[in-house]
Amino acid sequence: MKRAALILVLLIGLLLSWAAKDFPSWGNPQAPASSSPVSSHFIASTGVDTEVPNMVTAVLADYRGFDTMFETVVVFIAGLAVVSILRGGPTRRTRDRKFVVDFEPDLIVTNTVRLIVPVIQIFAFYVLAHGHVSPGGGFQGGVAMGASFILIALSWDLKTALNRFSIDRCFTVAALGIIIYAGIGLLSMVLGGEFLDYAHLSQVLPVSPEMARYHAMLGVEIGVGFTVTAIMFALYASLSTDGRMQDGL
Amino acid sequence: MSDHIVWIVLFPLLGSVVCALSGAISKKICYPTSILSMVLSVWASVQTLLQAIESPVHEISYILGGWSLDLFPRGVGIEFRADLLGALITLVVTGVGLIVALYSKVPVQRETPGKEPMYYALFLLQIAGLAGIALTGDAFNLYVLIEVAALTGYGLIALGTNRAAAATFNYIILGTIGASLYLLGVGYLYLKTGTLNMVGIQEAIEAQALHNSPAVQVAFVLVLIGILIKMAFFPLHAWLPNAYCHAPTTTSCLLAPLVTKVMIYVLIRMVLSVFGVEFSFESNLWTEIMPWLVVVAIVCAAVMALAQREIKKMLAYLIVAEVGYMVGGVWIYNYYGLIGSIFHIISDACMTLCLFLGAGIILEKCRTTHFDGLRGLFAKMPLTMIGFFVGGFSIIGLPPTCGFFSKWYLITGGMVSERWEYMVTLMFSTMVMVVLFFRLIERIHLAVDESGKNLGKGHGDLGLSSEQTRFDEAPLSMLIPLLIAASIVLIVGVYNQEVVDQIEVFLRAYDLPTGVTYK
Repeated sequence: MKRAALILVLLIGLLLSWAAKDFPSWGNPQAPASSSPVSSHFIASTGVDTEVPNMVTAVLADYRGFDTMFETVVVFIAGLAVVSILRGGPTRRTRDRKFVVDFEPDLIVTNTVRLIVPVIQIFAFYVLAHGHVSPGGGFQGGVAMGASFILIALSWDLKTALNRFSIDRCFTVAALGIIIYAGIGLLSMVLGGEFLDYAHLSQVLPVSPEMARYHAMLGVEIGVGFTVTAIMFALYASLSTDGRMQDGL
Repeated sequence: MSDHIVWIVLFPLLGSVVCALSGAISKKICYPTSILSMVLSVWASVQTLLQAIESPVHEISYILGGWSLDLFPRGVGIEFRADLLGALITLVVTGVGLIVALYSKVPVQRETPGKEPMYYALFLLQIAGLAGIALTGDAFNLYVLIEVAALTGYGLIALGTNRAAAATFNYIILGTIGASLYLLGVGYLYLKTGTLNMVGIQEAIEAQALHNSPAVQVAFVLVLIGILIKMAFFPLHAWLPNAYCHAPTTTSCLLAPLVTKVMIYVLIRMVLSVFGVEFSFESNLWTEIMPWLVVVAIVCAAVMALAQREIKKMLAYLIVAEVGYMVGGVWIYNYYGLIGSIFHIISDACMTLCLFLGAGIILEKCRTTHFDGLRGLFAKMPLTMIGFFVGGFSIIGLPPTCGFFSKWYLITGGMVSERWEYMVTLMFSTMVMVVLFFRLIERIHLAVDESGKNLGKGHGDLGLSSEQTRFDEAPLSMLIPLLIAASIVLIVGVYNQEVVDQIEVFLRAYDLPTGVTYK
């Protein structure tokens, strides 16, 4: 079986290398992916269309905003699926009690975390809000934010973290994130555009259509950030306790 | 421009968010919410289909984000494109979704108590993903939506019986490999064409004559194998039987009719609209290999179905066989074969729905779907069994059910292309299905068990107490959806010409051989 798999892998490797000789050379400006009308439009007109300096964010949140909405939904689904499968499952693995020790949260650790968490959270907000001009955005900001809650759970215990951010609230926040994203899309539809056509938001915002796209991108990034933060923490809480939501690591 | 096309996806999406939020308020609103959002979604897809029929080019294009084709190059924004094929499949997806949503009340409460909000949220997102796959005109957006549909599928299946977790794990591994291969193929296509829009890729392949480019040919192989894994084509089907068998009733009712069928739609979309007829069928050797693989697939799946002693497992192998039919209809490469394939997607969705709804009721009332537990069911649940066997007769291909007409076109296609091996296989598999379903009828009516031992006391006696054969139908919330599904099987069969007319309008745009030469 292993040998058959090896032969298969080698064959696929050969096939892929055969295809690779047909690739355009590295960094070639004439390559289709660089010279096609679509890429040229992104490179030349992102600033004109959206006022956003960071081209990647504009492609992600505006030109292909529909993909990103569903990527956010994918994160949401992951949380829903993991929590619903683990919650009250029929086969409960009984944890070896020998290794569970009653312990007081460590003074040095908790005090350090007390200092660090606000900084992490502010940095998360920065990454989220600064996605337009520098690398960053909702996914990265959300992960940093979620990590701060996981840090709290690690240094105190899961109960302390769940008191601040319960699982039900996680799903409320995650659903809220999707509502923000889809809601901005729906609002632009109500105002006479297509779904996610942020330019039409200029009718309710006191800015030009291009700046409306700029601000709406921030809005959808915030939505993404909400969902990712909540699901990050929900996944940790659920997976580290086999769905019981107590004790934990 | 009309917005109906995007509402098809948005109604289930918003419904699922409401369901997820309802966990904090009241679990009772999940069932009505999902029905409401499915009704609206069906309404939107009917509107879209009507618009597509009326439009002069027979398709509707909707660019999300307002990057209209008049001002921006094609492919800058993501395009939703409903031609007649896409609109028909979308209607099938949302229609099946609505029927299963109606049906879900009793089984969801019994099988996933306390988890209704999450179950219905995943359920609705599954439909949003599948409907989106049928509508999108962007190769990467298709991948994202495949991911949505697959992940919700894993979640929905894993909520089943104890053994569902292992089956789901198997499915996750294989499904992820399939999706990755598809994504890699799309990456190669982007490398050579510089666009992700399906029409754009097709135009670039034609304009730059990429038919002999190794990268595009490898992309074709990768995309093809990825989709074949996702649709459970025979040697790659290993994930399907256990996943559908151990899943909760509502899940298998939703996934079994839709997932494999939507993937065949993706295959047809890729072959016709992305790579093009000439590339897919004439400039590589797949045209020779695939029909033989199909023959092997149908024969093996049919034989394996014959070996099963449990209705759900038997139906799962039937799906694998049906997938072989439809892939064969595409690769025999002619007009009639493709009509057959597309019509069979529609009719197979209807009849598989019927069978799984019926099997779900049997499971609900008898707590087993093993052949030994079926004696006397015609007396106990006559309406359920009628609904179930309408689906069964359609799988066999008895007129006037829709299965007869789609199989007719498939066989015509095989004949026109002189693919005798495909025709013979279809006939063989039809015979196997006759055996499968009439054996079931026999097990219900006769008092014999697995080993052939007689359990009754003479003529007409099933060896059951009067308690066990008393009229005891399924709850109406389960029975009515089954009867609706059964009548749809008959209605689509009787009005098959109307459906085929639309498929023909769609296929006329492609240069397919018809094989009819009158000399």
